[in-house]
Formats: sequence, C-alpha cells, structure tokens
Amino acid sequence: MLRRQLTILGFLIIAILISIGVSLSVGTVPIPLFRTLKIVLSRVPYFQGFGSGIPDKYFTILFNLRLPRILLALLVGAGLATAGVDMQGLFRNPMASPYVVGVSSGSSFGAALAMLIFPGIFSVPAGAFVFGVITTFLVYRISFKRGKVATETLLLAGIAVGFFFSAITSLLMYTAASDIHRLVFWIMGGFWNSSWLRLLAIVPFVGFGIPAICYFARDLNIMQLGEESAIHLGVEVEQVKKILLIFASLITASCVSVSGIIGFVGLIIPHITRLLVGPDHRVLIPATALVGGIFLLWCDTLARTVIAPVELPVGIITACFGAPFFIYLLIKSKRGSYA
Amino acid sequence: MLEVKEVSFSLNGKKILQDIDFTLSSGDFLGIVGPNGAGKTTLLRLISGVVYPERGKILIEGKNIESLNYRRLALKIAMVPQNTFINFPFTVFDVVLMGRTPYLGRFERETERDLSKVKECMDLTGVWHLRERRVTEISGGELQRVIIAQALAQDTPVLLLDEPTSHLDINHELEIISIISRLNEEKGKAVILVSHDLNLAARYCRKLILLKEGRIFAEGEVEKVLTPENIRSVYHLNALVRKHPVTGFIYTVPVSVQTEEESRKKRGKVHLIGGGGSASKIMKALIDRGYEVSIGVVNIFDADFETAQFFKVPCVVEAPFSPITSESYRKNMDLIGKSQMVVLCNVPFGSGNLLNLKVALWAVRERGIKVIVHDGTPIDKRDYTGGEARRMFSSLLREGAVVVEKEDELLFMIKEYFS
Repeated sequence: MLRRQLTILGFLIIAILISIGVSLSVGTVPIPLFRTLKIVLSRVPYFQGFGSGIPDKYFTILFNLRLPRILLALLVGAGLATAGVDMQGLFRNPMASPYVVGVSSGSSFGAALAMLIFPGIFSVPAGAFVFGVITTFLVYRISFKRGKVATETLLLAGIAVGFFFSAITSLLMYTAASDIHRLVFWIMGGFWNSSWLRLLAIVPFVGFGIPAICYFARDLNIMQLGEESAIHLGVEVEQVKKILLIFASLITASCVSVSGIIGFVGLIIPHITRLLVGPDHRVLIPATALVGGIFLLWCDTLARTVIAPVELPVGIITACFGAPFFIYLLIKSKRGSYA
Repeated sequence: MLEVKEVSFSLNGKKILQDIDFTLSSGDFLGIVGPNGAGKTTLLRLISGVVYPERGKILIEGKNIESLNYRRLALKIAMVPQNTFINFPFTVFDVVLMGRTPYLGRFERETERDLSKVKECMDLTGVWHLRERRVTEISGGELQRVIIAQALAQDTPVLLLDEPTSHLDINHELEIISIISRLNEEKGKAVILVSHDLNLAARYCRKLILLKEGRIFAEGEVEKVLTPENIRSVYHLNALVRKHPVTGFIYTVPVSVQTEEESRKKRGKVHLIGGGGSASKIMKALIDRGYEVSIGVVNIFDADFETAQFFKVPCVVEAPFSPITSESYRKNMDLIGKSQMVVLCNVPFGSGNLLNLKVALWAVRERGIKVIVHDGTPIDKRDYTGGEARRMFSSLLREGAVVVEKEDELLFMIKEYFS
C-alpha cells in the first residue's frame, strides 16, 4: 500500500514538471517546447550557452509573464486543496471546503473596500487578506466556549458571518456602481495580475502552511473517529483544531488575496486524491497539494489559451469542471459511501 | 488504581453528578447501571478525562488525571464509546492500528510489536477477516467490534465501556463481553461497564453502582444492589429478581410499572380462584388496571402463590401438595365475602382442589356474587375427579355464572361490570 502511494507521489511530481513545461510553451505567443527548455536551461549555471540566438522577447514572456503566473497557479492550487483537505478532516465532513468558515466573503469584502477607498495594486490583496483573517478570527471567537471550539457552531457561525459580509459587499457594490466590474472580475478569480512579487507574498503562507498541516496528519486521522475518541487516544484535540484552523485560514486568505475566489479546488481535489491514495492524511495531504497544483495550473492554462487573446476568469473553468463532479459525488453518496 | 473522590459535575447550571466516590482496583469488573439521564455516560467522560470535575478529583495510579496530558492518560485508560461514525474510507486494519497511537512518536512507524498486538486483538473480537474492508462499508455491529479491538490494542490497565453491545447481535454481545471478562480475569484489566441492561451487568460485573439522578443510590455486590426494593425506587418498576436456575446469575424481569396504592383500590375488588399458574396472568392484568385482587386457595410454591407474593395480594394458602382443608375453605369464603366479583380460572380439578369449585358455587348460589368462569380448556379435559367436577361446573353455569373463553373477553367483562 505504502509503496503504491509513494509511486503515485513520484508520478505527481513528474507530472508537475511536465505541466510546467507545456504550460510555459503554450499561449498567445506559442514557443516550441524545445526552445522553452533551452531558455529555461540557459538560466542554470554552466548551461548559459543554450540561450544564444533566441530573441529577448521570449525571455521576457517566459520569465516575467508565464513563469510567475504558472508558479502562482501551482501554489494557489496546492494551498487551496490542502486547506480543503484540512477543513474536511477537521469537520469530519467530506463536504467542507476552505471557505466554510467565511474566508471568501470576508476577503471579498476586504477587496471591495480596498477598491473603493484606496484603489491600488497592493491595497486590494492586502485588504482581502486582512479581512479574510478577521472573518476566521470572528467565527472562531463565536464558537469558542469554555476552552473548547464547538465544531458545529463553527460551521454555522461561518455561514452567518459569511452572509453578513456578503451583504455588506453587495451594499458597497450597489452604492459604487462604476467599480462593479472590477470587483466582479476579482470575485470570479484569475491570475492575470500575476507577478514575482505576488508569488513572493504567498510563498511564506503556503510554503510553511502545507508542511505545518502535514505535521498534524496522524492527529487528523485519529480525529476521524470523533473528537472524544481522539482524546481517548491521546490527541490534544483542542490544540490541534486551533492550529489546523489557523493554518488553513492563513493559506486560504493568502491565496484568495492574490487570485480572487477560486471555487471548487478546495472541495473536489481532496476527493479525487482520496480516490487515488486513500484517506490516510499522512499521504493524502502532500498528494492533495500536488494534485491541486496541477489541476489549477491546467485550468489557468486553459483560461488563457482557450479563446486567446481574451482570457477567461479561471474560477469559471474550475467551476465548470468542479460543479458537475461535485454533483456526481452527491448522487453517488446517496447510494453509499464515496471516495 | 482508579480513585474517584467526591466528584461533582454540572452542565449549564444543572447538576449532573453529585458526590460520586468509589475506587477501582486492578482486576475489578464494575458495572454502572441506572436509568437514562442518571449520569452514567457523564461519569465515564469524567473518568476518561474529556471533562474535568467541578468538585472532587479523579486519580489514576495516584496521579490526578487533570495533571496528565491526553497521551499519558491514553496509556492508562481506553474507552469504547456508544457510537462511532467514520466518514472517510479507512481500512478496518488502519482503524484498529490507531489504538497504538499513544505508543508512537509523531513520525514513528508502527513496529512489529504494534502490528502483532493489532492482529491479536482483531482475532479476539473476530474482525481479522475484515482487515482489508473499508470502515464505511461494514455494518454497525462489525464497526463496534472494530472499535473494541482498537481499545484492546491500546493495551491499557483500565478499560471503559459505554453500552458497548448496543449494536451487537446477542451472540456477539455474549462473545465480546466474555472476551473482556477473560482479559479481566486473566490479565487483571480493570473494567468499567456502563449499561442499561441490568441482566448483562449482573452477569459479568462483580460489583455494581446503581445511579439515581446523579447520585450513587446503591453500590456493592450484585445481589446487594439489584434488589426489588432498589429497582422499584430507581426505576419505578416492579421487578422479579431471581437467581437463574441454569447459569446461577442474578437476573431481573420487569413485571409492571409501579402503581400507587391509591389507584389500586379505586376500581373494585375481584377474587380469583386459581392454582397451577392459571391465575397469574389475569392477576397481573387486573393489578395493572387498578383492581384490588385477592386469591385462594393455592398451595405454597405454586406459581400463582409466587405471583400473589410478588404483588402482595391477600392469599389463602395451603401446604405444598396438600388437599384443601376445611379451614382454608372457610378463609376463602371470607375473602370472597369481601369481594364484588369472583373469577374462576382455567384450573384443572382433582380431588384435592374440588373445594375451590364448590366455593364458587357457594358464592353464586348463597351470596349472589357475580362469578365469571374462564373456560379456556373445556371442563371435560381438566376434570380429574371422574365426573364430579363436571357436574358441579354444570350446576355453576345453571346458577348464572358467565363463561368466557378468552382472557381479553374476560378483562372486558370485568371492566363492563365495574363501570
């Protein structure tokens, strides 16, 4: 079993490298795969010679436009999927997603507020991030009673706070009609504003958050027996819940702040990966991160090529794949257990 | 090993447990029984460290459980909860293996010892053949046995069981409890079993604690705790408590919900003429419906005598296996004289109890008391007097006694008569 799981992890890593290569070469300006390889290699010490004779514009397209965008899509996909598997484990509910505690609504509100008050390249992600985190904190405080977080209350509080922020966001949009389209685009999600700077902004959250969640993989497994049973097996449940909630929220808020509300990645990728490697979080979490990255990278590649030069918001692509698959899971779950 | 010292606990201002105090030593098998809401499950949650007492303390091997972290506690106490739901498709083996968690470091892999312990426990509870199956696909009873295997794999000196057999078929119920009982006897594992099943608790536990409204109502040996008096005060129920003739275990049979003495006297007085168990069912039915009942003449140790003793109804008795004497006959007449109705039960007649038939004739002829005859079996088939009983029976009918064949008809008639 373990061997099979490691093999799958290996395949996924290879698939990521191939996906990056293919995605680098397709686009409005197609660059042959071989030339792409040469350009990339030319940046590696001792291989500089490969770059000679290739026009500068290709370097610009690859390194300033496509590469940051590809890496951002990978990181956001990995982050959202990991946050999703974290939330599903935490709530013991296969229907949970990174947005269940209201991060998406909070972030939308933050983004809308920033667009109206301090429009700017950095204010929107910053506003989205800050309000995403504030929402989680609020929801957490509401469900915190006598030293414990009531998981059911957490879900309900997430819904309630989420609706509240959505309502305020609608109010803002209603009163500031001229900026509506920007906010709508932002909410649909996309990577057209990608840059190395944005990538750097989320690296600490996703780069530290995913290993941190992996650290609690065994606890997450045992918590599937129920919180009290996990206590009986020695898991410090309240502490683990708190930490997992914090990391999932930080990852989600950081991802949303650079790419908008991209739906379904955090919901379906954990399911698909569970079908591949089983429910053991020790393998499931890293595998989900890899599958999530690959999935979002391909969705984004489609988004920028399918009707090029016009771009589709990537949220539309993920939802087009995600919604039918989710419905399929729902129908299947009525007949028995799934994933 | 485990000391519960004057523990009290309340939830949302409501007192759930008060002044609970007991100790559990290695090798003990303690049952905690009591009605719903008596605090049984809460007591287990306190002992397993999920909640801490409001007052008092709980010590495990001399250490306050509040001072231990969950992992150290998990090395001492394992718990089988009432229900377990697992939403994700772990294999049965993986779930049992989770029982070894307290022994493992965060990234440590399970050793050969862990795996063999898991196999041993899965064999014990009969789930080894399910090891590759997904826990989301097995039945509730199978899952319960998997969870019990997990708790055994945890290999703790104390095992807590909360209604562990509520999902099990009766064969598995006995099997599982026998396994736990054996571990208790052979390895000295201390067990606390919470159950609403008094007979199960009586059968396996060596000591019982009977909880009532959050307090210990009775504790100690099974015989001392499961008395009809204790059951009546805690459950408001009349129950038979007997030693089973085959197994020698104490068992209880709930007989009727306790009725107030007052209501029993409201609906009229009925005298039963019975014997050989022919009157027991009718007696219970009448008492349940609030009639005042008396019975005569029955032999001591007869089934009807036992029933009459149980319900504490007035009863004319005769020595075991002896014919009715004229003295008993007269006493029977006295009781009939105080009643408004006589029911002659479906009793076989021989020379020894012919006076019971005669007294019915007397009642209807001399006293004009309403007599109902329960003629479930035709008189010819229960006449062992060579025709004497049949002749008396016929004259009884001529005098106006009413015959019914079925018990519910009989009860209906009595109801009609008194309304």
